[in-house]
Formats: sequence, C-alpha cells, structure tokens
Amino acid sequence: MEFVITQLSGFGVSLVSLALDPVTYLYLVPAVFLGIVFGALPGLTATLAVTILTGFFGNKFPLDQALIALIGAYVGAIYGGSYPSILLNIPGTAASAATAMDGYPLTRQGRGGEALGLTTTASFIGTLFGTMCLLILVWVLLLVSQNIASPEKALLALFGILLSGTLMSRDLVIKGWISGLAGLAMAMVGLDPILSEERYVFDWSYLYSGFQVVPVLMGAFAIPQIMDGMRSALNVGTIPDVTRIRPQLAEVTKRMPVILRSGAIGTGVGTLPGVGEDVAGWVSYGVGKTTSPESKQFGHGSVDGLISAEAANNAAIGGALIPLLVLGIPGSPPAAALLGALKINNVIPGPTIDPALVVHIVAVLVMASITMFLMGLFTARIFITILQIPKTVFLPVVMVLTTIGSFSVGGGVNDLFLMFGVGLVAYLMNLMHYPIAPLVIGVILGGLFDETFRRSLLISDGDLSIFVTRPGAAILLAVNVLLLFSQTAPFRRLYTRLSRRDSSFSKV
Amino acid sequence: MEDKTILRARDFWASLVLITVSLFFLYKTTDIPFLETSVAGVDAADWYNSAALVPYGIFAALFILAVTLLVISIRDGGAAHALSMIGIGYSGQELFRVFCIALILFIYIFALVPRVDFILSSALMITSLIWGFHNEDQRAMLVGAGVVSMTGAYALIMNFPVSEWAKPHDDDWITLFAFLLLTTIMILTEYRAESLSRVVRVTPVVAVMAPLILVCAMAFGFRQNVPNRTGLVFSKIEYHYYVTLRPLWQGKR
Repeated sequence: MEFVITQLSGFGVSLVSLALDPVTYLYLVPAVFLGIVFGALPGLTATLAVTILTGFFGNKFPLDQALIALIGAYVGAIYGGSYPSILLNIPGTAASAATAMDGYPLTRQGRGGEALGLTTTASFIGTLFGTMCLLILVWVLLLVSQNIASPEKALLALFGILLSGTLMSRDLVIKGWISGLAGLAMAMVGLDPILSEERYVFDWSYLYSGFQVVPVLMGAFAIPQIMDGMRSALNVGTIPDVTRIRPQLAEVTKRMPVILRSGAIGTGVGTLPGVGEDVAGWVSYGVGKTTSPESKQFGHGSVDGLISAEAANNAAIGGALIPLLVLGIPGSPPAAALLGALKINNVIPGPTIDPALVVHIVAVLVMASITMFLMGLFTARIFITILQIPKTVFLPVVMVLTTIGSFSVGGGVNDLFLMFGVGLVAYLMNLMHYPIAPLVIGVILGGLFDETFRRSLLISDGDLSIFVTRPGAAILLAVNVLLLFSQTAPFRRLYTRLSRRDSSFSKV
Repeated sequence: MEDKTILRARDFWASLVLITVSLFFLYKTTDIPFLETSVAGVDAADWYNSAALVPYGIFAALFILAVTLLVISIRDGGAAHALSMIGIGYSGQELFRVFCIALILFIYIFALVPRVDFILSSALMITSLIWGFHNEDQRAMLVGAGVVSMTGAYALIMNFPVSEWAKPHDDDWITLFAFLLLTTIMILTEYRAESLSRVVRVTPVVAVMAPLILVCAMAFGFRQNVPNRTGLVFSKIEYHYYVTLRPLWQGKR
C-alpha cells in the first residue's frame, strides 16, 4: 500500500509541475492536433506520426519536451482513427478498424455525433486506465526484471518477433515469421555488438553503424502508403451531418463497466511484445460480442461494440509502454518509434531506467489524454472538415515530411536511400500480404537478440542447456516452442478435433 | 480469378527470391569467422560467440520458410499462374501507375534531394504527383514523370560525384524552370478541358508553401540539419535569416 501511495504522490508532483509549465502546452496541443489529423486521414498511421516527430525533435531538444510531443501525437493518432471509421466506414488507422463495425451503422442511423462523443469519452477513459496500469505495473515488473538476464532477454526478444509475426499475418502465418526474420537480418548489418566484426557492409562506410531505426520506420510505414494511396482519391464521399457530440453523463455511467473491461483487455494485449492497438481493438470487440447483453446488435450499430473497440485500442498505449520501459521491447509499432526516440537520446529502457523518466512519461500520457478529450469534444468539426482533403493532395506533402524528417536524424542522404529501399520492399511485402510490423520489431529487437543470445552462450561456455536450466528461460523457451508448434498443421488439426468434441459435448 | 490464387502466384515468385537471397547471405556469412576465429594466431572467440552464429540461424530459418512457402504456393496452384500478368494480379494500367510513382520518388530521393534546392525539388515532386494521380489521367502521369525524370537526369549526370552535391549549380535553375513549366502545362491542360478544379488551383500553393514552411521550421525552429543548404532558394532564406532578420530581434541593429 505504501508503495502505491509513494507512486501516486510522485506522479502527482510530476503531473502538477507539467500542468503548470506553459511550455508543456506549446508542445502538447500541436502534437495532439497533428496526431488526430494523422489518425483521421486514411493512409497515415500513428507510427508515422510518432516517427516523423522523432525526426523533427531528434536529439536537439531536451528529452522531457520531445516526449511530450511524441506521446501527444501517439495518443491523438490512435484516437483520431475513429473519425473516418465512424463517419465514412474507412478506418483511419488499423487500430480503429473494429470501430467502423458499429460506428458507421450508428452514423447511418443519424447518431454519428453521439458515436463520436462516446468514442472520445471511451478513448479518454481507456487511455487513463492503461496509464494507471502502467504506473503500477511498471514498478512491479521492473523489480521482476532485475532477475532477467541474457537468456531470458534473448528469448523474450524472439517471442516478441514470433508473436508479432503470428498475430499480424493476414494470410499465411509463415509470412509474418519471414517478415520478422527479414527484420532480424537487417539488424545484423554493421559491426557486431560483441566482437565488432564486420557483417554485410559491402565496403560502404555508412553501413558500419547498421540500419538506423527512424529511416527504416519512415520507409516501412510512409512509402507503401504513398505508393498505394495515390489513386482514385477523387472523392471520399459525402460526410454526413453530425449533431451534438458531447455525450450524456448518464449514458457514459451506464457504459462504464464495458469501458473498464475493454480498458483492461486493451492494456493486457498492449503488454504483449510487438502486437499493439490493432489487435487490442479486435480482441476487445470479440469479447464484447460474446458478453454484451446487446450482442445481437453488434455490427448493426451497437454502442457497446463501438466502446469495446475504442476504449481498448487507446488503453493499449499504456500497455505497450510497459514492456518498452521494463525490457526495452516495444509493445506496438508506435512504441517502437518511441524507442527509436529514446535511443537517439541515449536512454536505454530496462531495469536501470531513471524512475523520474517513467513518472514523467505517465504524467505526459495523462496530460495528452486530457488534451485529446477536450479537442475531441470541442474541435471535432475541424477534424471532420480535414477528412475532406483528398489523399492525392496530402500524401505528396507527407513524402516531403518523411524526407526531411529522415534526413535530419543523423545519417543525411544515406538515410534517405535506406528509407526509399526499405519503402519499396515494404510496398512489395504489403502487396503480397506480408505484415510490416514484425519487420520493424525485428529490426529493433535484432541487436538485442544477437547480443543477449551470444552472451548467454559465452557465460555457459557454449552449453545450450542455459536456456533450460534457468526457470524463467525455460518457461519462455516453452512459450516460444508452443507458439511455433501451435501454427503447425498437426497441432491445428488436433485443436479443431478437440473443439468439435467440446461443442458436441455441450450440445448433449 | 480467385484472390488466393493470385496471392499464391505472387508467393511463388517471392519464395524463389527469398531462397536466392537466403542462399546468397548464407554464402556471405562464410566471410565472417565462425569455427576458425583466431586473429594473428591468437584465439579471438569460440563458435558460440562468433558474429556469424545468429546470422547463420536467421538465414537458415529464412531458407526453410522460403522453401515451405514455395511448396504451399505450388500446392495451391500458384506456379501454374505465375507466368501470366493476370495470375500475378496486375493490370498494365496499374503497373504503369506504380511505375510512374516509383520513378518520381526514386528520382526525387536519389537525384534531386542530394543535389538540388530542397524547396524547388519538393515543389516539382508535389506538382507531378498531385496532377498526375489525382484524376488518374495517364497522360498527366506520363508528363509529370517525364519532367521529373529529365530534371533529375540532368542533375545526376552533371553533378554525379558526392563532392559536387552541396555546391551551387545550374541544376537549381533547371528545376525551377521544370516546376514552372509543369505548373503551366497543368493549368493550361485543365483550363482547355474546362476542368480547372480546386485541387489544380491549390496545387502550386501547396507545392511551394509545404516544403518552404517545413524546411524553415526544421532549420530555424527545430534547429535540425536540412538537405542542400546551398540551394538556390534556401541559401537566400538562410542568409537573410542570419544577416537581416536575427540581428533585428536581437537588437543589434
């Protein structure tokens, strides 16, 4: 109990000092606005918003201030995706795809304003829920993480890549794994972290320092969107009239259990390495569909369905930051971009992270969610107007943004070449239904995996049993193996047979 | 044709590329010391600490997955449709669209940004993309891609070496001319076709203002590095920022 009170008081002091500093608003308000715009414009993503701002802030600004902008954009973008989902049936981000299922039918019933108001409130409470979980859980996990050594870290990194590959695949699961392996392979380029041995540098001095995270992220998330989005953008359709946006207090109170349940699911899914908001929205929507009293209305304009998806994807933000801060393993692609920003500023997340920084991040998250809530309620019509900008006009401007952002991070023109190369590969991968998130997670975690895996073997003199004899490592190894085998044909056949038997028993 | 068959036809080619790539990098990994890690007669590391260990694992796993993908694609009929354009799921029109965009972006990144003023090169790229692709008019795509390609080719050929990138050259003037030419062609074409839409009217403004604001914000607001500081337009802005404007608000004048 004392621990919780200490935590809350530390957080309170940080929040008050942040709220009283005028500089906070100088960064926060434009960043949240930009984030919502990026989320609202179909084709732009939360990851891209955070990555572009990383390029702008780089290492020339104090990290405290840069984090305000980056987290503000992150929170804003995840929320902003709900606008086109609800009003146009076009998800602004992958995270808000589940929102469209019930949001658009509500708009067709003339309840678009109500849907936007409830979404804003659910997103706000969801973000706060995830943030509070972050505040409490991060310290518990940081204590646990002090017992995590190289074998566990290597297996966790591998788990992140495998899980991301498994859950993000739209087609065959092996495509997700191939994508993750491609990312891991990219992380091998440069001097190796233990012996400084050259790997795949092809006598190009730029490659000695390896692939930089920001150009890879920009290439992977911007170029495919630009190449794919520059088509038939003549008209996004007529935007329906939106009436009162501010929700009724009684309605919010009535829906509170659903919001809190979805917040818990979102936070839980967010903590899974490399998965993030997209999956959180769908998982929560699925749970809502089976448990809600209005489950039959799901897909036809259910408020519970709308809230389930939207509260969860915003709660996943806090969840995604837990593995990031505790282990340096991002819980989602935007969190991966945030990790890039931390690394640029020489902050290494993990058991040795500065506690003041964690409390600062939590306070920024709360400030960002309040700003998002107020903007959502009072300036929603601006975002609705922005929806009318054709993709063919804003995507070329995004190209300029990514170019200048990528150039400024440090590698100059070479970073631009890398960005374009990664972008072309990512475009082809998109075309063939390979998920991009595992590639990015692979690039980010590749160095960690390589170093910790080899260090584990160095400690044990090449004895592979080190991955079995340590209890934590043994559990993680079992989870990895189980994840791999769960996707094989015999395991799936067995699962199908068992579930059929279960359903026949229940019928009896 | 079913989407799945198209996907498997693409998978067929992708798996062949992946097999080639993984074999190539497995071969390249042999350059990294693995079992023999002695340097100048002194043992540097053992196999389990070698820098080649993880890459061998990655590319071997990639090879196995690529072979699995090949087997799946053949089993699902991907190989049978792999040689037809329809089988790959790409029409000639779509191929042309993607080729034009890729060409414009390639020229922008590899030829223009390193050598030409950032505001001018971005204005040219923005104009060619908006006009070419907003109405999906193939002639506009071709003209846009053509103008960008010729401008980029000039900059690339005349100032190819890295040592020439940051120096002021006539390629800035050529790009300015190309931007004005493309804008004029766009307005005249749309005016004659009586389709001078709001997008066409706003394009020159967006093309100039977006990169101008961004590069100024980046250089003077965020104090970050920006491409080609010696460019025709940006060098003037930077000069007047430091020589004319800054002393004004610092009270030195």
